[in-house]
Parts: sequence; C-alpha cells; structure tokens
Amino acid sequence: MSEYNPGTTPAPTLPVSIETLQSVLAHMLPADADDGDLYLEHSSSESLALEEGRVKHVSASTHQGMGARVIKGEAAGHAFTDRLDTSALLEAGKSARAIAQSGQNRTPIAIHDVSAPALYQAINPAESVSFSERKTLLEELDALARSIDPRVKQVFANVSSSFSDIHIIRMDGAAIHDARPLVRLNVSVVVEHNGKRETGSAGGGGRFSLSRLIDGDEAKRLVQEAVRLALLGLDAHDAPAGTMPVVLGPGWPGILLHEAIGHGLEGDFNRKGTSVFADKMGKRVAAKGITVVDDGTIAERRGSLSIDDEGTTTHRTTLIEDGILTGYLMDKQNARLMGMTPTGNGRRESYAHPVLPRMTNTFMLAGNDKPADIIASLDRGIYAVNFGGGQVDITSGKFVFTTSEAYYVENGKIQHPVKGATLIGSGHEVLQKVSMIGNDLQLDPGVGTCGKGGQSVPVGVGLPTIRIDELTVGGTEA
Amino acid sequence: MSQSNPMISSQTISEQAIRLIETAKKAGACHADALAICDTGDSISIRNGQVESVEREDAQGLGLRAFIETPNGLAFATASSSDMSEEGLQSLAEQVVTMARISEPDPDAVPPIGANHPTADELSDWQQRHNHSDSGWTLEQGKAAAMECEEIARNYSADISNSEGADAGFGNTHVAYASSDGFAAEYAKASASLSVSVIAGNQDAMQRDYAWHRAFNAADLRSPQHIAEEAASRAVSRLNPGSMDSGEYAVIFEPRTATSLLGHLIGAVNGRAVLQQRSFLADSLNQTIFPDFVHIEDNPDHPDGMGNRLFDGEGTRCTRNRIIEQGRLHTFLADRYVAKRLGQPETGSASRGLTGDIGIGSSNLIWQAGDQTHEEMLKNIGNGLLVTELIGFGVNGVTGDYSRGAGGFLIENGQLSRPVQGITIAGNLKEMFANIAMVGSDLTWFGSTAAPSIAISAMTVAA
Repeated sequence: MSEYNPGTTPAPTLPVSIETLQSVLAHMLPADADDGDLYLEHSSSESLALEEGRVKHVSASTHQGMGARVIKGEAAGHAFTDRLDTSALLEAGKSARAIAQSGQNRTPIAIHDVSAPALYQAINPAESVSFSERKTLLEELDALARSIDPRVKQVFANVSSSFSDIHIIRMDGAAIHDARPLVRLNVSVVVEHNGKRETGSAGGGGRFSLSRLIDGDEAKRLVQEAVRLALLGLDAHDAPAGTMPVVLGPGWPGILLHEAIGHGLEGDFNRKGTSVFADKMGKRVAAKGITVVDDGTIAERRGSLSIDDEGTTTHRTTLIEDGILTGYLMDKQNARLMGMTPTGNGRRESYAHPVLPRMTNTFMLAGNDKPADIIASLDRGIYAVNFGGGQVDITSGKFVFTTSEAYYVENGKIQHPVKGATLIGSGHEVLQKVSMIGNDLQLDPGVGTCGKGGQSVPVGVGLPTIRIDELTVGGTEA
Repeated sequence: MSQSNPMISSQTISEQAIRLIETAKKAGACHADALAICDTGDSISIRNGQVESVEREDAQGLGLRAFIETPNGLAFATASSSDMSEEGLQSLAEQVVTMARISEPDPDAVPPIGANHPTADELSDWQQRHNHSDSGWTLEQGKAAAMECEEIARNYSADISNSEGADAGFGNTHVAYASSDGFAAEYAKASASLSVSVIAGNQDAMQRDYAWHRAFNAADLRSPQHIAEEAASRAVSRLNPGSMDSGEYAVIFEPRTATSLLGHLIGAVNGRAVLQQRSFLADSLNQTIFPDFVHIEDNPDHPDGMGNRLFDGEGTRCTRNRIIEQGRLHTFLADRYVAKRLGQPETGSASRGLTGDIGIGSSNLIWQAGDQTHEEMLKNIGNGLLVTELIGFGVNGVTGDYSRGAGGFLIENGQLSRPVQGITIAGNLKEMFANIAMVGSDLTWFGSTAAPSIAISAMTVAA
C-alpha cells in the first residue's frame, strides 16, 4: 500500500492572476475610500481521532476563497466568494463597494510584493509525520492511558493540523504573504469507579511541525495529565459558594486576563463606547505591580502571527503598566477612527469573515512572590490550577471562567480537590484586588480558541501565580 | 430577488453530489454519500442611524464520506472542499479514499445503503408544504427594517445611552444529499433575520441587552418595533443591579434561558455521548428523570419551527421523537451507527456539515407548555430568583455538575423586586431536572428550539 502523505504535495497556489486582482481592486475601490483590501486564502486541514481503541475518524478539508473589503469612515463593505473565477471576484468587489458614496474610481496602484519576517516556518505541519505514524501515536497513547490506571474506561485522542496560505493585497498595492502552520494534540479520558464517572483532558500545540509536537515525551505527558485530572475528579468534594480569596496557578488560568480585561480593551468596543473600559485610558484598573501585555510576536506560539489579517506586523502591546491602563488592541479601521496606531490585532477567522480587533497571546508579567507563599497566605479559599472556558459581558464588565482543577485551602494548607465551579467577577475591578504576584510566569500549552462575533481564532494566555483577595466562587456548598 | 447572483442552480449541486459519488467509486470506494451546499446571503448593519457594514457571502462546498472494504470490515473517511471543479471533485474523491485506507475498520460500520429513505411522493409532498425559496427581502428592504428597529430601540427611553446596532440578514441555502444506493434529494431554505442590541446607562453602570428573530420569510418576522422594544426594555430593566445573599433559592428560567436547559438535555441524550459514556444520562433510559408533567419532543415537521427536515444527514426519514414523556426518558437520539450500537430504533438525527464526521442533533426541539402563566409562577414561587441571563460554560456533561454565571431579578413576595448580577447558580442537572416544580404556559420559539418558563425548586446561588 502506498503511503499517502499530503505534505509532500505543495499547497496549490491561488489560481488568480495579478492582472485579475489588479482589475478587481480597480473596480472595487471608490476614490474616497479610507481603506480596502483583498484577502486570498487557501487552507487545508487534517484530523485523526481515536475512540474505543481505534482510529475511526479520519477527515480532511480544503477551502479557498477571497474576501473583498472597502472601508469608508465607520462603514465597512465586505464580500466573500468561494469561487475564484474572474466574474465571481469582480462581483464580490462590487458587493463590497455597496457602502461607497463616490462613483469615481480610485487611481489604481501597481501590486507589488512586500515581505514580512516570519515567526514560524512556512511548512505544511503535516508534512513531517505520515498518517500511519500519527495513527500509531494515537494507539500508543490509548494503551498508555489504559495502563496508567484500571479505572480508565474510555480514551479519546485527536491529532490535527492545518496550513493556511494567505495573500493580502492592500489598497496601496502592497501584496503581503503569510503561511501559517498550526497543530494540536488532545487527549481526554473517562474514568469510572463505584458507578461514578469523571472526565479529564489535556492538550497542546502551536505553530510548528507535527513531528515537533509528537517527538519526545510531551504526548505522554498529556495522557498522564488527562488521567490525573479525571481521577482527581472522582475524589472532588462540592465546591464552596460565596465570595472568598482565590489563588490562581500559573499558565492557562491567564484566561482570567483574556476575559476580564482583554476583550474589554479591543478597539471596536472602546471606539463605540460599549466597553466598561472606554473611559479608563490612563486610569488605574489594576493593583500596582501588575503589567499585562498582548504579544503576537512570540515565535511558534498558537496565538502568534507574523502579520495580522490586514498585513500589519504584530506587536507586543502593553495593555496595563504598573496597574494603569495604557493600551487598546487595534485593527486599522478602529485605529484610524480613534487617532491611534494599529497594533497588529486585526484578525479574521478566514476570508469569509470580517476583520475584528482580537487578542493574540495575552499575559501578565511575573512579580516577586514565591508561589508557595501565595498559597500559604489563604486562610480559607480556593487554589485554582486548571480551567475550562470563560466568557465576558464587556458592557457590564461581568466575566466568568470555570475551574477544572481546583482545591479548597484552609489555614494555608491544601485540603481537598473541589468540583468544577464558575468564578464570577467584574473585569474593571478584579485586578485591583490582586495582592500577590508570583515569580513563575508561564504561558499556556497552546490550546486556546477565542470566539467573538461568531468567529473563532487561536489565541494564547499566560499568568504567574496570583492571589485575588475577593472573587465569587460558584459552588454548591453555601 | 434583485440581489441574487447568477448562481449555480440547485439542480447542478444535486448533480455534483451524484457525480462526486461516482468519482469516489471509481477511485475505489465501495459505498459513499455526499453533501453539496450552496449558500448566498446578505446582511446589513445599522448603528446610530448610519450604515455600519454591508456583507455578502457566496459560498459553496462539497462533503464526501467514502467507505472501503477491508478483510476486517468497512473503513471510512470524510473530506470536504470548496472547489467544485472537475479536478476538485477528482482530488477530493482520491483524497478521501486514500484516507479511508489508513482508517481502522469498524465491524459495526453502517454504509449508506438500505437506509430508511423518504419516497419520491414524500419528497414532492414535502417540497410543496415547505416551499421556502425566497427570503422576501432585498438589501434596501432589510436596511429599512434595521433602520426602523434601531431607531425605535434608541428612542425607547432616556436611559438608552448607546447602540451596538441593528442587523438585517437574509439569504438562501441549497443543500443536496446523495448516496451510493441511488438516493438523491435536495432542498432550498431561505431565511431572514432581524436583531438589535442597545445599551442603557453610562460608564461603570452600563447594561446591554438584545433581541432577535428569524423566519423563513421576512413577512413572518416579528415587527421591528417588537424586536426593538424587547431589547431596549430588557436593557433598561437591568440597570442598577445589586447582589444578593448566597444560599438556596427557588429559580425560574424564563423561556430565553430555559432553552439552555434543553441544550444540556440534548447533549446528554446524544446517542454518541451515551455510547462514549460521556453523558450523565447514559444509564437513565426508560427512567423517570423529570416530574410527570414534563414532555419534551424532537419534531421534524412543526409549523412554527425553523428546524423542519424530511431526512437527516444520512438520508434517513426523520421521525417525531418523544424524548421525555410524562417525565420518562424514552429514547436517545441516534444516527444509523449509534442506533445499531445501542440496539435502539433510528431516530433520523444524523446531523452533518461539510467538514468532519457525522454528528447527532435535533430538528425542532420543543419543551411542551404547562398551564401556569409567568405571573402565576412568580406568585407560586413566592421568593426566589428569575434568571434572564446566563454566561460561561460551567456544565460537566459526564457528571451533570452545573455552575454558571447568571443575572436576573430577585423574586420577593411573588413579584419581581430588583435586578441582580454577578452571581452564579449551581447544582447538578439530574437533580435540577427532578426538581422542576412548574412549567409555564408562555412557550416561546427561538429558531428551532421552543421553551416555556421553567421553575426549579432549589439551586445554590453564590454572590
């Protein structure tokens, strides 16, 4: 049997000529447009999933298309098509122009390549590992999970990869290219003991090759972690209910920042005045000592991008410096309207979605406290190490995130694990209640996906261990 | 409709699905089924009386599932592509067959032959009764509705301080399904929707709320005024929220939040989750899990539902599934594979997108109305909490443990007393289901889901 290895076939270049794109741009852009661009994308993805000991689910997808955009003031016209013939592309350009007032066309500018330094390799991440190697890996992970503990009853493992080839043709004729690899490995298990079932899961990934992801012990570590979390759940007591001090562990608990402040600092909400942070620039929104950044420039991270989806080079943007609000996350349109500079945060899920200001990797810088001292400071409270998802209402500032590994702490000592509980607070207040900041900043393992306006994009978060003096814990033990 | 492009007609996408199956068979598949979808849509959003965005989509795609025979049974793979050219079909077929060869055979695999397909007569009867080929809107008409809706919402009260805008959307979806046993069918679904979101209050005291409606034809939409007043009155009513004491409370979910309980139920009666032991109801078939006045059904042919369908993602005729009858769990939802594995009848619940594996989903999910009005429910509860907003994802589907962020109104002496926010409500779904005390008469539709107000006798509130 011949080995199928799609990575060995180069991704097809988009079947659209420069002349056609020049023509679409010329017909699309009115003389008084503030901005406009074409976004051409070819994406392929593959996924292998194991359940019941078998790799039963093998799937792939290939999508290509073009998004056309015209911007004038606060208005944006956006059209996309999956068909790349000249008439469909011209039609998309015409639809995007629907917001324009002017009948005059803008003087066309010749399309020319502009290069941007890459933060990851332009390789199809699937190239390095054949399907049968991936299959063998998942089978090994299944066997490992079952060998760790006889209470493991179900194992689900999934390895997926995608590769997106993107060309952005801007109004000034600049053609910028980015090739984005993304891989992800996920393991989840169901354990059963005395008729009680629990689940645990762990994952990791980033913008690198599949071989990097699965070579070494990382995959095995994920299995051990998933089993550990599931077994921990079997012993979990009811979580307390009420307001109490909470210590967050390092890494993924940084989802706190993503929900509590990150969304509220996105440019669109602040320009429109719909965010609770809209009038807080230059004001104290966090305790002294807290500095939070959004950094899209970290090599090979899941949330990183060499350029954003408007062709702007990504940045490290300081959102909060020593407790004071210093920055918003900006795409080009909102930056222009607010008289600010784009920060490389204009992102879209694909050519079929409009651009929105979005986060990349959002984290708090380390402080000086020792993690053990922070935990020991809890008289009665929760120490939360792992989380599921979170959500925020950026207008009221109320945000939630739900623990998946947390412990009840009394007199500075960890007592027992507690069931998953939702923590709720106010984004503009919670960081003012941080009283200790650990010296152990960690970034998450590469699993975050952020939803906004119906669009999903990969993101990262990070946090050192911190103590929050007051947060509402949504358990059942009132 | 003036906005529509000269699109590939639905006739063509049906033919393409059939051609794709033939191509897959030539590439080595013994069985295959395929989905072809063409989507066109427009939307316009208005903010502060000005056009904020105009969007147009022109999407197409093919999804293919192909089976190959191996000495150990059938193996399959799925793949999708947006390339509908001849070469696109060819490479999709070759890709999926090659991938099926590395997939592990499953002795229980159910190939797309011998499914309980609807007959030609049923297909034509259905098409006559469910003819939704026109959304009823042009871009100008949608714009006018969004303008009117936003203006009414902004002018609803002096407390309305800002707007997130109103959106009007409309479009057409053509779907074709074909399988290698000769079944092929297609349908078109048009729809129109109108939504608005506004903000009451200022600075640190802002509250936002929204309202939306969707119908097959714009003529059947709730009026712009109705939608505007719903959104604005909700935003205003939330102003100046307080907290409350942590403790046990009786809780009423209004229809909007009660639909989330239906969502959790559907997640738990999903036959695949049951098979995987990832459902807290995995061992509850034929058990009474709700009080006897609770009835919940999955109805594929309902005059008020947007989820009507004659056949599911495997071409299986959809049936009316009485999931909960007199409080008893009657059936799990299943595609053909899950039905075979669980040893239960098929329910026509295969849900399928272009990408990935076949999933399981409901058609129109309806929690049947009870006989108490919302006011009577408040009176009977006496003291408790009305939940009008839920945020977060704090539900463990394996154990049923539930803990979510909430907002709403305190109920005191049988009446709403004041808004509360920044609280959580927690419990376990099995207990919450068993502790349902009342079902309201105020059945409300949200697209393909309908729920009345639901009262639960006790949940833990943290504040």
